Amino acid sequence: MGRLAIKAENVSKKYQIRQGLGGLQTSFKAILNAPFNWLMRQNGRYTHFHPSETIWALRNISFDVEHGESIGIIGRNGAGKSTLLKIISRITRPSKGKITLYQRVNSLLEIGTGFNPDLSGRENIYLNGSFLGMKLSEIKQKFDEIVTFSEIEKFIDTPVKYYSSGMYMRLAFSIAVHLTPEILILDEVLAVGDAGFQRKSQEKMGELLSSGATIILVSHNNNTIRNLCERTIWLDNGAIKMDGTSDIVVDQYSKFIREEN
Amino acid sequence: MNIIRRENEFAPIEIAPPSFLEFPRFRELWEYKGLLFFLIRRDIKLRFQQTVIGFLWIILQPLIQMSIFYVFLGVLVKVPTGNVPYHIFFLSAFIVWQLFSQIINLSALSLVGNIGIIIKCYFPRMVLPLSTVVSALIDFGISFLLLLLFLLIDNIYSLSFRYLLIPVLLVITTVFASGVGLLFGAMMVLFRDMKNLLGFILQIWMYLTPIMYPISIVPEKYQIIFYLNPLTALVDAYRWVFLRQGNLPRFDHLLISLVVATVLWFSGAIVFRSMENKIADVM
Repeated sequence: MGRLAIKAENVSKKYQIRQGLGGLQTSFKAILNAPFNWLMRQNGRYTHFHPSETIWALRNISFDVEHGESIGIIGRNGAGKSTLLKIISRITRPSKGKITLYQRVNSLLEIGTGFNPDLSGRENIYLNGSFLGMKLSEIKQKFDEIVTFSEIEKFIDTPVKYYSSGMYMRLAFSIAVHLTPEILILDEVLAVGDAGFQRKSQEKMGELLSSGATIILVSHNNNTIRNLCERTIWLDNGAIKMDGTSDIVVDQYSKFIREEN
Repeated sequence: MNIIRRENEFAPIEIAPPSFLEFPRFRELWEYKGLLFFLIRRDIKLRFQQTVIGFLWIILQPLIQMSIFYVFLGVLVKVPTGNVPYHIFFLSAFIVWQLFSQIINLSALSLVGNIGIIIKCYFPRMVLPLSTVVSALIDFGISFLLLLLFLLIDNIYSLSFRYLLIPVLLVITTVFASGVGLLFGAMMVLFRDMKNLLGFILQIWMYLTPIMYPISIVPEKYQIIFYLNPLTALVDAYRWVFLRQGNLPRFDHLLISLVVATVLWFSGAIVFRSMENKIADVM
C-alpha cells in the first residue's frame, strides 16, 4: 500500500459560454466581429460587446488516490463531478493544474460506446472493446466469457438493432466488466438489466474491487457509494467540500441536502 | 517478477492544460492500431451490407458523372482531348479526384460524425480521419477497374511498366489528401460553418484542376498558376500512365510533390492534434 495511482494538483477547469451564437462554437460571424470587438476594447467600451461568459467547473481540486482505493464522488448537479471524471478519463484537459496517472485507466462513462446497430454482436464486442482500450489479443481471449456472461450466445451474429433493449444493455455491460483495469472510472452505469443480471453485475464489481483495482465512482445513490467505496469526495460548486471516510461524508452530505430543502 | 515489470512499463501519464501547438504522439497512435483496424472494418462492412446495390453504387457514381460531362463538354462543347475519347480522358482523372475529395470529405466530417464516442471515451482522435483513407482507397480500386474496362474497350490499354508508377502516385495523392483532410477536420472544430463551405471549396478545387479539360486549353502564361495546385501535376502523371499522354513525369518533380505532401500532412497532423483538445469542450 501507499503506492500512488492518481495525483491531482490544483486542477481547475474553465468553460467559456458564448452567448447568442447557438452553443459554444465560434462561427464566422464571431470572426467577422472580432476586429470590431477589438476596436471597442481599445476605446474602453468592450463590455457592451462582451462575447462570452466564463464558468469555472472545477476550482483548485487536489487529491491523491492510492493503489487499490475505491473512491466515491458525490455532489449536486453541476458540482463538477462529470467534469472531473472527464479530465481523469482524458476526454478533456484541465485549464490549470495537472493530474498524473500512474496506472492504466479504463473509463466507463457510458456503456456501449461506439456500438453500431447494423453490426452484429460479435463485431460490436471487438469495436467497443477497442474503444475502451482493450488489445485485440485481450478481446479474443475474453470473447467467450463476454458472450456467456451477457446470455446472448444464440444471437451473437445478429445485428444488434434486432436485440431487445435488455439484450443490448447486457452485451454492453458484459464487455465493460471484462476489462482488466488498474484504475476503473465509473459514471453511474451499475444499474442494468433485470434483477438476476443486476446481482451478477454487482458480484462482478465486487470481484473487481477485491482484485485490487482502483475505482472511482460517481453516483447519486448514497447506498451504492456506501457499499462500494471506502472514501468519498464531496464536490460543491467546483471545489472539494469534504474528503474522507464514506460514512461520514455521505452523512454530512445528506444532512446538507436535507437542510437546504 | 512479471508484475514488477508491468509496473515499470507504465510510464505515468500527465494530464496538463493544452499548449497552443502540440506534436502528435505517433507511438500512442500505434498502440491504437487495433481500433484503427476495427474502424476500417466497420466502414467497409457497413458500406457493403447496408444497401443491396452498395457495390453498384460505387461504380454508378463515376459513371453518372462521366455521362454528364461527356454530353456537355465532350459532345456539345467538344473539348479537345488529343488521341483519346472524352469520356476516357475525363474518367482517367476523375477517379483520382474522387479518391482525393473523398478522403478530405470523410476525414473532415469524421469528428462530427463520431462526436457521441468522442465525449465518452479516450483514444487518439486522429484514428478517426485516418480510418477513412482505406475505404476511399477501396472505392478507388473499384473505379480503377471500371477505367480499365473502358481502356480495354477502346483498345487504349496495353500492359506496360508505366503502371508501376501508380503505387507511387497513390502514396502522394493519399498523403496529400489526408493532410488537407486533417486541416479541414481541425477547422471544423472551430467553425461550424466549415461543414457547408467544404463542399464549395472542393467544387472550386475540382474546376481549377485539369480534370474535365486538358491543361493545354489554358493560356500558356497562366499555366504556371495551375501548377501551384499540386493536384495538376499529379493528374498529368496519372494521365501519362493511363492514356500515354504528355511526358514521362520527372523524378525530381515527383520527389518534390512527395516532400510537399508529407510536410503538409505533418502540419495537418500538428494542427489537428492541437485542436483535438477542444473537441470535447466545444461540440
